[in-house]
Amino acid sequence: MVGNHKFALGFFGTVLLVWLVGMTLFVRHSALPPEASGTMLAVFEPSTSQDAAVAAIIKSGGNVVKKSGLDFVWVVQSDEAGLAGKLKANGALGAYRELPISPALAGCFAVADAKVEAAFD
Amino acid sequence: MTTSAAQETPWYFRTTTILIAGCLVAIVNFGIRSTFGLFTLPISTAHQWPRETYSFAIALQNLLWGIGTPLAGMLADRYGSARVLMAGAVLYALGIFGMNYSDSGPLMDFTGGVLVGMGIAMSSFSIVMAALGRLVPPEKRSWAFGLATASGSMGQALFIWPVGQIVSNSGWNAGLTALAFAALVIIPLSIPLLVQNTSKSVQQQGETALPLGKAVAQAFGHRSYLLLVAGFFVCGFQLAFITVHFPPYLAEHGIPKEIAWIAMLTIGLFNVVGAYMSGIIGGRGVKRIPLSAIYLARAAIYTIFILTPISTTSTLLFAASIGLLWLSTVPLTMGLVTVMFGTRYMATLYGFVFLSHQVGSFLGVWLGGRLYDAYGSYDPVWWMSVALGVFAGLVHLPIREHRAEAFAAV
Repeated sequence: MVGNHKFALGFFGTVLLVWLVGMTLFVRHSALPPEASGTMLAVFEPSTSQDAAVAAIIKSGGNVVKKSGLDFVWVVQSDEAGLAGKLKANGALGAYRELPISPALAGCFAVADAKVEAAFD
Repeated sequence: MTTSAAQETPWYFRTTTILIAGCLVAIVNFGIRSTFGLFTLPISTAHQWPRETYSFAIALQNLLWGIGTPLAGMLADRYGSARVLMAGAVLYALGIFGMNYSDSGPLMDFTGGVLVGMGIAMSSFSIVMAALGRLVPPEKRSWAFGLATASGSMGQALFIWPVGQIVSNSGWNAGLTALAFAALVIIPLSIPLLVQNTSKSVQQQGETALPLGKAVAQAFGHRSYLLLVAGFFVCGFQLAFITVHFPPYLAEHGIPKEIAWIAMLTIGLFNVVGAYMSGIIGGRGVKRIPLSAIYLARAAIYTIFILTPISTTSTLLFAASIGLLWLSTVPLTMGLVTVMFGTRYMATLYGFVFLSHQVGSFLGVWLGGRLYDAYGSYDPVWWMSVALGVFAGLVHLPIREHRAEAFAAV
């Protein structure tokens, strides 16, 4: 029976690992280019306070549409070109297209994406 | 399997490969299925349809999935699971791809409803489990059922996010096309299951000699089977109600959308653990007692949840505990079918039990909406779920866990 559990653990662990790697690559691919505008998710470091995140968004010329379930993930909007680049310049980890599902999940992957980016810089 | 036999068997027909392939089929089948909700808004907006048009196609899909499961089971019992899985994958892919070009309600009903529904039924984990039931040694059978069910649960959690990302970045057409290709992956994954070939319905040692029609008739005359069918109806009712109506119920109580999503994800993740554990428990002895306990525990959890103030903490606790009990009924139910009737017609006979589950699902979703409109509250359906949970808990207790007389091994 222990062998069975090891098999199950190995199977689910491998599937999850492949999925996590795939998703991180996916998120890297879907990060918005610096010139992007419109509605997007701005993802900050998880330790960023609400005040600091809002200040960075305003400084970037964006409008806060709403906060997600996580303090460091915000839905931001601006028609001015370059919003994504300005958000990044003002401390965001990155900007991503708004998802039809929870922005909170996007935030988790965006943080993983930033770690990968930092590792290869 | 002896050492020499293991040496003669190619790697792709070995039990480990078959288990992995079967579980991957379950992941893909369930994963794709769980994403259709993401398309409601973009497809309805693109065609300027009311929500009802697309929703009806998906409701039809669920019904066809239920009706199609015993039919697919009959084919699997007759021709082997692999062939049915492959044919199902083609139907699944055609249906999903066809949804791209379905610009009218009836066309969407055909592609997204009929084709996809039949495709899901023919490539679902019940067909996989029937193959595993025959291929895996009896002492590992329940564990294998748990593993396959847990895989399906995992698929639900894994697909939703990347598909959401594709829909968001590249549009719903790209999302559907990607899903159609994903469905086709089931074809190569089914190859290892070709080793289990039931063509010409050759009677296996220790299995019944009854022909299919008589086997089905005998099963429906078996009291324990009818009790199982009745119990599984409740499972469908409870889960479908939560799947569709839980997020709006939370919104009504001031719980943010993100927490609702995290709650649904929590259900999915705990479901993996629950389904696997249930397979292990089922392999240790009696199955009806843990099955009964699951339904009674669901009733208790529902009661505590609706009687206490709804908060983020209570929502997540509820999601985790109901997640543990979510598909944990499946390995035990499948196991009971096997105990009563053997493995020869298990896909067909489980298929009929599953049809009852889908009728329950339909009623859970429909009554949830209907009674909400009538009373302005989900409370009547919550309490109905509690009562049904108690009913199911009691209904499983008299099940007799031994081979039905007409199915006695020859």
